[in-house]
Amino acid sequence: MKWLELLTVGGATLVSAAVVVTLYSLGVRLTAIAGDADQPSPGTKRSLAYACFGLCGLAVLFGLYLIIPYFSK
Amino acid sequence: MVALVIALALFFDFTNGFHDTANAMATPIATGAIKPKTAVALAAVLNLVGAFLSTEVAKTVSGGIIREGSGGVQITPEIIFAGLMGAVLWNMITWLKGLPSSSSHALFGGLIGAAVIGAGFNSVNLETLLQKVILPAVFAPLIAGLAAYVCTRLAYALTARHDPETGSKLTQKRGGFRTGQIFTSSLVALAHGTNDAQKTMGIITLVLIAAGTQAPGSGPQLWVIAACAFAIAIGTYAGGWRIIRTMGSGLTEVKPAQGFAAETSTASAILASSHLGFALSTTQVASGSVIGSGMGRRGTTVRWGMVGKIALGWLFTLPAAAIVGALTALLVKTGVVGVLIAAIAGSGAVLFMFFYSRKSAVSHQNAVEVEEAGQAVRFAKKKAMARARAKAKAKAEADAAANNPKAAAEAPTAAANNPKESQR
Repeated sequence: MKWLELLTVGGATLVSAAVVVTLYSLGVRLTAIAGDADQPSPGTKRSLAYACFGLCGLAVLFGLYLIIPYFSK
Repeated sequence: MVALVIALALFFDFTNGFHDTANAMATPIATGAIKPKTAVALAAVLNLVGAFLSTEVAKTVSGGIIREGSGGVQITPEIIFAGLMGAVLWNMITWLKGLPSSSSHALFGGLIGAAVIGAGFNSVNLETLLQKVILPAVFAPLIAGLAAYVCTRLAYALTARHDPETGSKLTQKRGGFRTGQIFTSSLVALAHGTNDAQKTMGIITLVLIAAGTQAPGSGPQLWVIAACAFAIAIGTYAGGWRIIRTMGSGLTEVKPAQGFAAETSTASAILASSHLGFALSTTQVASGSVIGSGMGRRGTTVRWGMVGKIALGWLFTLPAAAIVGALTALLVKTGVVGVLIAAIAGSGAVLFMFFYSRKSAVSHQNAVEVEEAGQAVRFAKKKAMARARAKAKAKAEADAAANNPKAAAEAPTAAANNPKESQR
């Protein structure tokens, strides 16, 4: 039986999904904060939010890298 | 026979496509991230691209579940035909019931049934069956469900904002998750295309090799790749709206943050499983994610009755497809007449199910009740009513003006109000 592989897959799924969701959620939160009326530095918050979204985009690109066999070999 | 198998294989590819649209696109449709028609079109294009991207064909169709070669079964076009028949019919039945079920498991089941009739029970490799079908079926929803549960909790915890003094809620912009959903669901659709079109390509290539029209050990020919890619894309575009309804709103209500968490979990699980060696079914992963995200948000109920139905469907997938496969194999064994009977009975059953489904058609219009769609409909009605009212008013005023000059003076102001009303 391939219990180790099963465990690896489960762990990798959990960690990668959690990382992406955390980043995206932070992005969403920062956008919300930047949108507040009495926000001293909306520009910084907004660029931080975009940085978070950008990291998520990198994660998606990594997914593409895994999907397309041309790159993986 | 070869032509028949190829036609059936392409039809299987088509059912596979519309069976699995839901995996990628049910949650974005349910949250209104993508419009239903656009979503299936996007999924279709991505499946098409995915099918062309990866031409690495699984060497064995059955993945070692059936002992092939010396000491086992010689996989013949007849066995593949019978197996495909089982898979196609089971796919149609589960679609009719709106149950998401794994197309590959149906294919395995059909092939097992056909092989058992062709060569006895010894031909089935039970250990591989346990390892490749039964255990993944248990663990896929568990892994994906757990990930989706954790992610949903994370997403809600991270975006929850309260005013520290008054405790009242601040803007949370959770609608922002909708944009993310577009990307994650696209990833799932692309991954699906690279995996599932492959199976059919493998089958057709195997048949061509068995029939001696292609050199053994060679890859799929271009027309096979193109045909499979288009079959799965058309199937995806046709959209299994019944299954989309089950996944999008039958299991639990899906909000954007939940949908994003579920799709990220699905995408991670599929990618992790296909690259770390423990193959999981896309359908089962996606269903598990939706259930997990349903459990993760407070105030959401998971409809466990529906979950039970789906689980029962998974339990029956293999044996049911095996029985149909076995029956077809029996028919095919009797010769050309048997093949004809099987082909006609099979297409008859498919047609019957199709027409039966028309009785209670589920299409992109009514697959999922989306908040925004509901609003759009209401807006349209309001507009139409305002227009009708304006017309009636104008008519009444015109009539009145003919009789009464005073009313005619009021008419312009009423007319000035009307455009505003209709714009709303």
